[in-house]
Amino acid sequence: MDDDELIAAVAAGDDAGLRELFTRHAPWLAARLRGVLPAAEVEDVLQETFLAVWRGAGGYRPGGPGSAGGWVWGIARRQAALFLRRRGKAELLLAAVDVPGRQAADPAETAVIRAELADAVSALGPAGSPNREAWRLMYVEDRTVAEVAELTGVPEGTVKSRAHRARRQLRAALRRREPAQDGGGR
Amino acid sequence: MTGRDEMAGDHDSLAGRGPGPGDVDLDRVWLGVAAQVWRRDPGPAERAAARLLRSPGLARALVTTPSLLAGWLIATAVVLLAGLFATLGTGTPYVPLLAPAVAAAGIAYAYGPGIDPAWELSRSMAVSDRIVLLARTLAVFAVNAALGLAAAAAGAAAVPNAAAVTFGWLVPMTAVCALALAAATLAQSASAGVAAGVAGWVIVVLAGQSASGRLTAVITDAGLVLPYLAFAAVCAAIAWAATRVPRGT
Amino acid sequence: MNVEINDLTRRFGRNRAVDGVSLRAGAGVFGLLGPNGAGKTTLLRMMATVIPPSSGTLRLLGRDPGSYGPRREIRRRVGYLPQNLGYYPGFTVAEFVEYFALLKDMPPREVPRAVAAAVEQVGLGGRARSRMRTLSGGMLRRAGIAQAIVNQPEVLLLDEPTAGLDPEQRVSFRALLRDLGERATVIVSTHLVEDVGAACGEVALMDAGKIVFHGTPDELTARGEGTGAAGDAPLERGYSAVLAAARSATAVRS
Repeated sequence: MDDDELIAAVAAGDDAGLRELFTRHAPWLAARLRGVLPAAEVEDVLQETFLAVWRGAGGYRPGGPGSAGGWVWGIARRQAALFLRRRGKAELLLAAVDVPGRQAADPAETAVIRAELADAVSALGPAGSPNREAWRLMYVEDRTVAEVAELTGVPEGTVKSRAHRARRQLRAALRRREPAQDGGGR
Repeated sequence: MTGRDEMAGDHDSLAGRGPGPGDVDLDRVWLGVAAQVWRRDPGPAERAAARLLRSPGLARALVTTPSLLAGWLIATAVVLLAGLFATLGTGTPYVPLLAPAVAAAGIAYAYGPGIDPAWELSRSMAVSDRIVLLARTLAVFAVNAALGLAAAAAGAAAVPNAAAVTFGWLVPMTAVCALALAAATLAQSASAGVAAGVAGWVIVVLAGQSASGRLTAVITDAGLVLPYLAFAAVCAAIAWAATRVPRGT
Repeated sequence: MNVEINDLTRRFGRNRAVDGVSLRAGAGVFGLLGPNGAGKTTLLRMMATVIPPSSGTLRLLGRDPGSYGPRREIRRRVGYLPQNLGYYPGFTVAEFVEYFALLKDMPPREVPRAVAAAVEQVGLGGRARSRMRTLSGGMLRRAGIAQAIVNQPEVLLLDEPTAGLDPEQRVSFRALLRDLGERATVIVSTHLVEDVGAACGEVALMDAGKIVFHGTPDELTARGEGTGAAGDAPLERGYSAVLAAARSATAVRS
């Protein structure tokens, strides 16, 4: 069965279909999430993702090759954001930051990465400063540009450029692999 | 977890296969998903029973009693309704005459190897099969009594001697149910229980009719109350003895 | 020692189904071999606290199952797969395992995950919500194993667990036994000698209610060497040799 058929089966209540979907998709989803989250959190998010797949399979509309994968990834991203919103670990999700080679192999390294991220985010400015706030709302809480514009009271174009600047600064800070000084970003 | 239908002794875990990251335990994740997808969510009745009885296992055993499942209850209600309409039509109180037999069948089918295929296994459980039997018997009796009372009360207006007939059958019903239970546990067969209960009741009713000319004699005769209860007690004792752990000789 | 049995006897009328059996078992896989009618099932039923002994002592997990409280506590920590399992046709596999998990007094919050683990461990993950009436004989047996292991028992009693399993499944099952035997006492009663050799660290052979051999599979094999006893494999020859010796000794005595 192909992915579209599997999802249709799951929508009809076939749990064996869900198991097959898990076998096919969980590994790459885990790898993608692992780039930005520690292993334990990846496990929790992945579990919530597939429970959401189970409950929401009826809402899937087939759209050609790869659309199933995209649909599942969309769910995973939303679950990751929801998870972080609940847990408040705002500093950790870097879904938009493409920094190669960031997979941690053991808890000690994870802790180091967390520390680096915390420091790097502080390079965006004090908490509440425009770029940092834009970053937090858009990439950590996964809100749309329109939502952020409304929440912060600025035009959408401004939101987009702040987010862009924040991403650039973070990337630079992480590549330097040293804590950025405070009072940087604007 | 394996993609194929085999047992997991071979350490064939998803986490070690494919492109997944090595430190994410995908098997564990799947178990978390499966736990939520496969579970049977206890309904409000089961949850209430679990709190009341302080035993989730006993509550689950109760709600899975064959004679408390929807199909059986509906059939019981249909029989009693038929009796009710017959009563309204003819003035003969059919509900009190039917209810004991129906209840006896329900009691027989609450129990035992005749209806419990996993009999041996049930006898090795922490929530013992005797406790399950007791709880199920009481529940079936209570449900049948409630349904019977409702039907009898609805038809009471059409019948002479309404009060005695509406309630008086509860005592014979206890005796008949106890008889069915004793027969089922002794013979280790639900069918034996139904047969004994129904046949016993029919015999008693007909005997009462031939002795006094009235079909309802066995229900309304107050002098029979003590004998009924004594008989019920004896049958209950037989059932209790029949379900004890078999002694070595 | 999870299981301590001393001079245990069980009579049915005048027949001694189990006759003066003694054994002690700790963690590991313990095989119980013997022909039909040897008393293996009766012995297992006593260990499962389904029937009491006629005489002798039985201690499980350090407790005496003769009284209600200890018996209930033992039953929470034991898993049992009877020879004749029976099943509820309308239940799904998961419901079946869940039912017995609850009857073993498992805390309800732990039950769903334990059920999922047990069902996956026996390879029924793809059939978890299938009704039991749709399962083959081998699958039903595996569902029975799942309910036995769901509460992670310290004593696991399996009566002919491989009945109905195909050879490939029997191999996976032996691997599962080895895993389980790492922490628990697993007692497997079987008339299939090769199952024993591959999985068990210790073996007892029963005949006519008595234990006629107790040792390792290698020792049993050694008993068959050079005797010309029947059997395709060394372990089977040991089995036949011991049985023959026991029966001729009985014949001589009587």
